[in-house]
This record gives sequence, structure tokens and C-alpha cells, in this order.
Amino acid sequence: MDMEALIVQLRRLQETALAKLTEISATRDLTNWRVQYLGKKSELNALSKQMGSLGQEERPLFGERVNEVRKAFEDAYLERQTALAAAEQALRLAQETIDITLPGRAIGRGAIHPISRVIQEIENIFLGMGFSIVDGPEIETDHYNFELLNLPKDHPARDMQDTFYLSDELLLRTHTSPMQVRTMERMQGDIPIKVIVPGRVYRRDEDDATHSHQFTQIEGLVVGEGIRMSDLKGTLESFAKALFGPEQRVRLRPSYFPFTEPSAEVDLLCVHCHGEGCRVCKGTGWIEILGAGMVHPRVLDMSGYDSTRYSGFAFGMGPERIAMLRYGISDIRLLYQNDLRFLAQFARA
Amino acid sequence: MKVSYQWLREYVDLADLSPEALADKLTSAGLAVDAVEPRNKGVSGVVVGEIVSARQHPDADRLRVCMVNVGTGEPLQIVCGASNANPGLRVPVALPGATLPGGVQIRRTTLRGVESNGMLCSAAEIGLETRLLPSAQATGLFVLPEETPIGEDIVKVLCLDDVVLDIDLTPNRSDCFSIRGLVHEVAAILRSGHSFPEHIEAPKGVGESPIAIDLATERCPRYEAQVLDGINQTSSPLWMQMRLMAMGIRTIDLVVDVTNYVMLEWGQPLHAFDADSIAQSQIVVRQAHDGEELVTLDGQKRTLTRDMIVISDPEKAIGLAGVMGGENSEITASTRRIALESARFDGSSVRRTGQRLGLRSEAQQRFEKGVDPAAISPALARATALLVELGGARPIGPSVAVHQERQAGDSRQVPFVPEQCREALGFAISNDEMEAIFHALGFGVHRQEDKWLVEVPSRRADVALTADLYEEIARLHGYDNIPSTVTVLPVTPGMRDRRQAMLAKARDLLVNMGMFEVRTYALTSPDALAPLSSPYRPIPLLLPMSDERRVLRTHLLPSLAEVAVHNLAHQVSGGAIFEIGKSYLTSELPLCAQPQEREVIAMLWFGETEGTLYEKARRYDFYDAKGVLENLLAALGADASYVRSAIPWLHPGRSADVVASGETIGVVGELHPETAKAFGIDRAIYAEIDVASLLATRESDMQAKALPKFPGSRRDIAIVVDRETLVGDLLRTVNKRLATSGLLQDLKAFDVYVGEGVPEGKKSVAITMFFQDAERTLTDDEIEQLVATAIDALHVNHNAQLRS
Ligand SMILES: [Zn+2]
Repeated sequence: MDMEALIVQLRRLQETALAKLTEISATRDLTNWRVQYLGKKSELNALSKQMGSLGQEERPLFGERVNEVRKAFEDAYLERQTALAAAEQALRLAQETIDITLPGRAIGRGAIHPISRVIQEIENIFLGMGFSIVDGPEIETDHYNFELLNLPKDHPARDMQDTFYLSDELLLRTHTSPMQVRTMERMQGDIPIKVIVPGRVYRRDEDDATHSHQFTQIEGLVVGEGIRMSDLKGTLESFAKALFGPEQRVRLRPSYFPFTEPSAEVDLLCVHCHGEGCRVCKGTGWIEILGAGMVHPRVLDMSGYDSTRYSGFAFGMGPERIAMLRYGISDIRLLYQNDLRFLAQFARA
Repeated sequence: MKVSYQWLREYVDLADLSPEALADKLTSAGLAVDAVEPRNKGVSGVVVGEIVSARQHPDADRLRVCMVNVGTGEPLQIVCGASNANPGLRVPVALPGATLPGGVQIRRTTLRGVESNGMLCSAAEIGLETRLLPSAQATGLFVLPEETPIGEDIVKVLCLDDVVLDIDLTPNRSDCFSIRGLVHEVAAILRSGHSFPEHIEAPKGVGESPIAIDLATERCPRYEAQVLDGINQTSSPLWMQMRLMAMGIRTIDLVVDVTNYVMLEWGQPLHAFDADSIAQSQIVVRQAHDGEELVTLDGQKRTLTRDMIVISDPEKAIGLAGVMGGENSEITASTRRIALESARFDGSSVRRTGQRLGLRSEAQQRFEKGVDPAAISPALARATALLVELGGARPIGPSVAVHQERQAGDSRQVPFVPEQCREALGFAISNDEMEAIFHALGFGVHRQEDKWLVEVPSRRADVALTADLYEEIARLHGYDNIPSTVTVLPVTPGMRDRRQAMLAKARDLLVNMGMFEVRTYALTSPDALAPLSSPYRPIPLLLPMSDERRVLRTHLLPSLAEVAVHNLAHQVSGGAIFEIGKSYLTSELPLCAQPQEREVIAMLWFGETEGTLYEKARRYDFYDAKGVLENLLAALGADASYVRSAIPWLHPGRSADVVASGETIGVVGELHPETAKAFGIDRAIYAEIDVASLLATRESDMQAKALPKFPGSRRDIAIVVDRETLVGDLLRTVNKRLATSGLLQDLKAFDVYVGEGVPEGKKSVAITMFFQDAERTLTDDEIEQLVATAIDALHVNHNAQLRS
């Protein structure tokens, strides 16, 4: 064989092989191609074996040519292999595409009851101010619920407290205020006292849109030396700002509770109209949210705190009312019906 | 308390202060005004007219054609349908162009062919409350007294230019239950004077009083009476009727109206009765005898008890003190002499009597809240003077007054230190300003250096302590002027205690496991609790409001079941709910002491899960509940195990007691089908954790362990055991047996199989064990030895066969 003819063959082989390679689109075909053109029994190998029939000077030249072709084949193969792999992966990924608008696998999330939510929030505000939380019995004695709070039997203000009695002496507490006395008794004259008391209370009211025979209250009590009525106002103002926003203000109006003197109703700027006047606040710009006052000297004395030396303030508020204002709930019964369609609206953390 | 603006104005200079502005000032001072209502409901152009003549309408049976003199010369022809449209009567006439309440416009018109120039009006048509009028005045034309000037504007005649303030009085301010009290209050707020008299000089009767009074009970500190005769039993003047009506009191006749008028004015209830009905002319105020009977003015026979106070004579009771008079002493047309009573009765006693008899009059409310001893005499004198002036009555002798030896003084002295007041309130206010406030209130001030004595008149029974004076200073200085300060107190850590922190965490954990918190009523019915066959009898209310809520719950399950029933009936297919609440337990009824309030975390799974794309809706089952419990208890640090439960209201094969540290701290299980049926639900899983028990068994702070340095080995075995064998028991056996080695780090069942290849009545359980030593790598031999030991123990204790 002369070298010219071999080189022609080599060139033809190169053209054919590379042309075939460009047509390959499956990995299996690519493997076959590699076996066919680069394997032991490949045409290239066969041609290379014919090197022996060439002259001494021609052999290296031809060998060089064969290696060039082999290198070209290998490069082309690798390139093709990379391209094919990329295409196949792209195809596979395309096939794996999912509908990302479908819902995620549910990790069921429930909801804290709106009343608990409000209570927790209020607790956190007072915890931040250094108050501790105390709990007390729902079944109280007449003594603690009324008498030690300066409400002796036949006191006209007992009209305001229509009570569920269990016996002559035992009743369902009508307010969380008995815990003022129980806390002072437990503290045995120590100061300061800074507590809040969240809890369930009961009154003989017919259930309707604004009344519930069972509801919750949060009582607050501060006792120490030199506690002033202005401190009450300042404390409640800090609380109001924390709960409803920094633009909040409080307004005190003289009122009456048998266990505080002086006493006050505490209004906040209407949370709906911010003081402009609207339906919620009956046009006044203010909403009544708390009852408060300076602890009555008789209550202090009866609880073991000398009223000439110690003073304090107390306040009470209704989480239901705050929840209703905050979440725009118009019927208190919704809070005790526990309809899951209602409760699910409070799933937001 | 409704109060007439004009009546107040009579005694205190309101200058140009409008009723609305006055209402704001009262509200700011603690007398919350709920409403400001003009008496005039929209009347204009109505005048007084006299019916000159009335003839039948030619074409209408029920109409009359009246000629009416309205003082403008020519009488007006007005067609009228009222049956009392009779000549000579003076009545309100709405002239053409007049407006009546409700926006009614009056025009000249023709009624069945006869011209009508206006309208003759009834009480209702000019906006008067007919329920407050005598029945004769409530229907037909509103007949005015014959001396009423013709042509006068009806607004003036009926004082319709007045405005009524409706004040929501707090129970301590009984002093403001009268014009007298409100005049003092308004004068104090405005810092202006007033002209309300301290005393009244009564017309003196000739001779001696014909009656004697015996106070035979301490519950009547003071009793005064005046006898009058020759009273003209007529109606009261229009101005008095209108004032009574403005303040919501019904007008009756002169005597009753005068007693009510003076009560509104002075706050002192009065009672008038027939003086000749008093046997032996002797009034005895005493306590009733048990079982004594009295027919009261409303015609009802009342049976009295010892703690009621009666007005009596030596023979019989003639009235219930402060509550209602007796029929036997009622003033009638034939009454010759009347006795007027002005007294003070024990408030609690009056209150109890009223409650027992179901009565609640205006007088009674004033006695309950306490009347001012200083008003007893002037009120009697005022009423006597009015009856003399308006009814031509003649007093017989002076009034008779008796009182207990010890009686309340006209004033009391309360110590006051200005500096301490400033300290208590937290604002700067001068001594002079404080003194001015006390003077405006009508309080006397004795200044002795920095210690004062403030003299409080008896009408202000609510001001007895120094703190009460602080409130007077604060409210009249203005609560709005109190600054906001912050208490300077030792720093205190604000934090939840262990229980509170645990419950807050539990609430969050449960919510994050898809559960909804509910809040239910503690009151329920015995029927609702019945399916639980509790050893505790529920505590009943003495006076329940309904059958559904008449006992305290002894368990939370009925409450949660009620929630489930409500939801299932309202298109909710199921849910997982929990409540942190209490049940109320006592072993003795009737209740003698505060019962146990048992706090639990109660949970209920009812109906179906919410179906998703990935998991179809299915009914909640035992393992949903147990999964939540395991997660909850692990997070709260309780190491719990589950033991078959014997609670009768749960499914016997699908319920477990939750045990931690050897104590049962709760329960979990499917409701017994009978229980579920009783609650009206199909199937539900209930779980409950006792808060106190959980708190007691919680492990203390966790300790971190170092990570192992040497590899461990896992071995799985499959065994065949009886179908009834509990997997938990198998694991416990292995755990116990290998515990001493200290090498078993993990142990759990990963497959339970029943079916082909497993003999009838048996099941196959696959268990995986993981062995590891902190100090070295275990050899295969050692591990095989441990596995063999486990298998041996399972065989011995549970007859387990290794599955081949
Ligand atoms: Zn508003």
C-alpha cells in the first residue's frame, strides 16, 4: 500500500466517523460509536496496523496522522458526550417539572383562641414592666369576693354584681379582684407587689351580643410606698401604647368601685377613628376599656398593709372587649361558640 | 336618674351653659350623663284654645265641628274626632303651619266637605308620655286647666323648652338622687353659688298635733309626721305635673304628686295616708311579726317576716316602711285628715323587704341607698307648705318628730393633710385651691397648720375617709389634669412561673400540631355529664338561669363534645381541638368549702381530617391523638408510657392511661361507642393531661451528652408472637433485659404484620436495636450475644419465636 492511499482512507474514515457522531442523540449510540471508531476492532486500529507496510521514513509520519485522527475522535467523542449528557439532563429536568402552585404538604396549623391571644399579649406587656402573673380560684368565698373588698352584705353596689351563689358563703367569683386580697395576704406585708391576675369570672347575665355569663378579666395590683394616682395613669398609658400603638392616650373619668378610692373609668382613644368620633365610640372619640383606682385604705388595712404607710393602685380590664375591638367582633357569643370556621381566622401567628 | 335642666337652673346660675355642656361637665366629674333629651319632641305652632261650640259633622258620625277661640279674634272652625271635644274645654290647638312630633305638618283642609283650620291635640300628639298621665288624660283631647291663658304657646304652658339629662349614678352618689344634691354638685363643678335652701319654714298649725309616735325599732332612726285637714283633693298644677313627667314620674293627684315632687327635690321619700285610720292616734314603728299579714296599696295580701319594718298603730299594721302603704290607711275621696310621713329607715332592711316582695319603687331605692337625716324635716315642711298653698290644706298642730337617742349628726369631720393629698395624687395643687374646692362642695375647712379638719355635711354620706376627700379634690381639679408618671419601685423580674410557662408552651405546641384552642363554659347540665358516670356529683348553682347551665362541670369532655356537635352541624367535617380549663370536684354536697379546681389540658379529635392532595380525608384515630401526646409530652420533658386503660367511657381496646414517673398523668382513647352516641357524635378520640401531675413529673433541666467516638451497630430481628401481645410490652422486656449492659442505645418496632406466612392468631413484629459503647468498638460476637439475650427474653416472657 502506498501512503497516499492510506491517508485518503484515513481522511475518509475521519469524515464518515465525525459525520456519524453529529447524528448521534442517545448515549447508547454514542457508546457504540466509540466501540466502532475507537475500540480495538476499529477501522482506525486496522489502518494503523497497516503502518508496517510503509517505508521507514513514512511510518512516523503516518503514525502521527493516525494519532491526530484518534485525538480528533476522542475530543469529538468527549464533546459529544458532554453535550448529550447536558441535553439528556435538560430533558429529564423538563420531564420532572411540577406545578408549583399546588399546595405544600400540610403541616396542620391550628390557632390560639382570640381571648387567649389577647391575654398572652397583655401578659407579655406587663411581664416586660416587671409584673408577675398570679392565678386564683374561680370558686370564691363571699368573704374574699365581696367583704374584704369593702362590699359588706347589703351594700348597694352588690346590685352591680349579680352573682352565681353555690351556697350562702361560696360563689363563682364575679371579678378577679379577690386576688388583690389573696395576693396581699400571701405577701404578708412585703413590698413591692406588682402582679396581674388573668382569669375566668362569672355573672348572672343573660347571654346576648354584649353579655356573657362567663367571661375573663385581667386584674392588676401594685402596692408599695409612695405610689401615686399619677403612677396609675402613667402605667396604664405605657400599657395602652404597647397594646394599641404609640399614638395612644388614656383619659381618666371619676367613677366608683367599692375597693378603690379615688376610682376611675379609663378610656383609650377610639381604636377605629383615633379620636375623630365614629359609630364604635358613639361619636365621643374615646372607648371605655378599664376600671381602676387607688387601692381603698380599708382594703389595704384588711389585707395587712397599713394604709397610712403603704399605697397602691389596682385596675381591671376585659380581654373579650379588647378582642372584640381589635378584631372587629360584634357578638361576644362568637367567642364561646368555638366554630372552627371562626377560630381558623386566628391562625396567623 | 333623669333630671330637669330647668329645675336645676331654678337654684343654680347656669348662665349660658347649654344642657350638652352641662352634661360634659357632669360626666367629667364622675356623674356620667348617658343622654340629653329635649322635652319638646318637635312641637311648634301649637297654642292654647278654648272650644266655644261643638256640633255634629253633617256627613260623619264620629266627627264634630268645633269653633275654637285661640285669642286671635275670630274663632277658628276645626273638625275634631275626639269624643271629649266639648264646649268650654281648653285644649292644645295646632294652628295651620304647626309642626307636631314625627314631623307632622298641620294645614288648612276640608274634612268631608267641612273646612278645618287646624287640629285639636291629644297628649300623645304633642309628645307627652301617656303612661305617666292619669288614664283620663291619656286618651282624647289633652284638657288643660281652665285658668290656662288662651293663645299662649303650648311649649311654654307645658314647659316643653326643658331638657332632661339622664345620669347614670354610681351607687355611692345617692346624694345626687335629688335636685338638692345635683344643685350642690353643679355649683361645686361650676364654682358658683346656689340658692337651694338649707331649711324650710313650714306653715304653723294651731293647737297640738293629734298623733303620737312610738319608735319601737332601731331600724328607724328618725320619724316625723304632720297632720293636715281640709285638703282639696284635686289634681296638681300643670308645672308640677310636667316636672314630674320630665323626671319619669307618673302624675296621680295633688297629694301623691306633692310627695313625689318633694322626693325629687329633696331626695327624701314621703308617704301620705289617712290620719283617721290610725287607731288611738298612735303611730308605732316596729318590726313585723312573723306571719303578720298586710294588704298593700296594690291590693295584694302580703305575709310579713320579722326583719321587715312596719308602720302600725296599736292594733294593726298600716304600711310597709319605705316600701308600700297599706290599703287600710289609703287616702280616699272620703278622707278627712291626712298624715304626712317623713322618716329614715334602715336601707338593708328596706332592700330585703323589697326583694322579698318583688317591689322596687323610687322611694325604696332612695331608702336603700340612704337618705340624708338633715333633709327629713325640711322635706316635710316643704310638702306641708305645698299642700297648704296648692290644696288649701290646714296643718293641725306642729309636726311631731321622734328619733333614736343616738342618731347621725348633721356633719362629720374628716382629717386632711394637704401635702399627703398632693403625694397621693401625684400633682401640684395649692392649699388655697384645695380649700376652694371644699368650699365649693359646701364642706367646712378648719385649717390648723398643715393638718386640716374637713367638715362634711351629712348629705355626702359617701365622704367619710381621707381618701374620699382625695377623690373630691382630684375629680373637681379634673382627672384630665393628673399627669402620667411612672412608679419608682425596686426592680422586679417579670416572668411566668413554671406552670404558666409550661402552659404557654403547651398551647403553642398544640397549635403548631394543627389543633385549635377553644374556650367553653364551665356551667353545664347534669345530663351532659351523665355519660361519664363520674364519681363526683356536680356542684349545683343555687339560682341557675337555665337548665343547660345549672351545675359546674366535673369533666371537660362534655364541653368539647358540645363544640364538636356544633361544628359538625355547621359544615365543618372534623377537627382537632383543645382547652386548657378546669373541672370542679368535691366529695361533699352541699358544698362547705372551696372545692378542688382540677386543671387539665383536654383534647378532642372528631370527624375527619382535612383531605389534601397528598393524603385523602380520613377519620381521626387513636394514633393521631397519641402522636400529638407523645410530641407534646416529649417537648415538655415528661417521659411517658401508655398502659391499657380501664376507663369505662372509653373504648376498652383503644384507650390508654398515660403514665409518667409511675403516676397516671392522663388518658387517651377513642370514646366508647355508647359514650359517643350519648354525646351525639359518631366517633371521637379524647385525651387529657392533668396539669398539676404533669408539672410534678417533668424532668429537670436537660443535660447534654458528648457525641460517640466509636461506631455502633444496628441489628434487626423479626419475631412471631400472639396477636394480643402488646408491642410496648415486647420492647419493655428487651429494654429491661439489656439495661444492665448499658449498650442498647435505641430500640423500636418498625413493622407489625399479620397475614400470609404468619400463623392464625399470631403476628410478626420487626424490631431494630442499636448497640454502641462510648469507649470502644463492639465486636460482632458481643453484639450477637446481646441479640441472643434479647431473643431469649422475648421467648421466655412472650413465647416469641424467631421468624425464619
Ligand atoms: Zn371611634
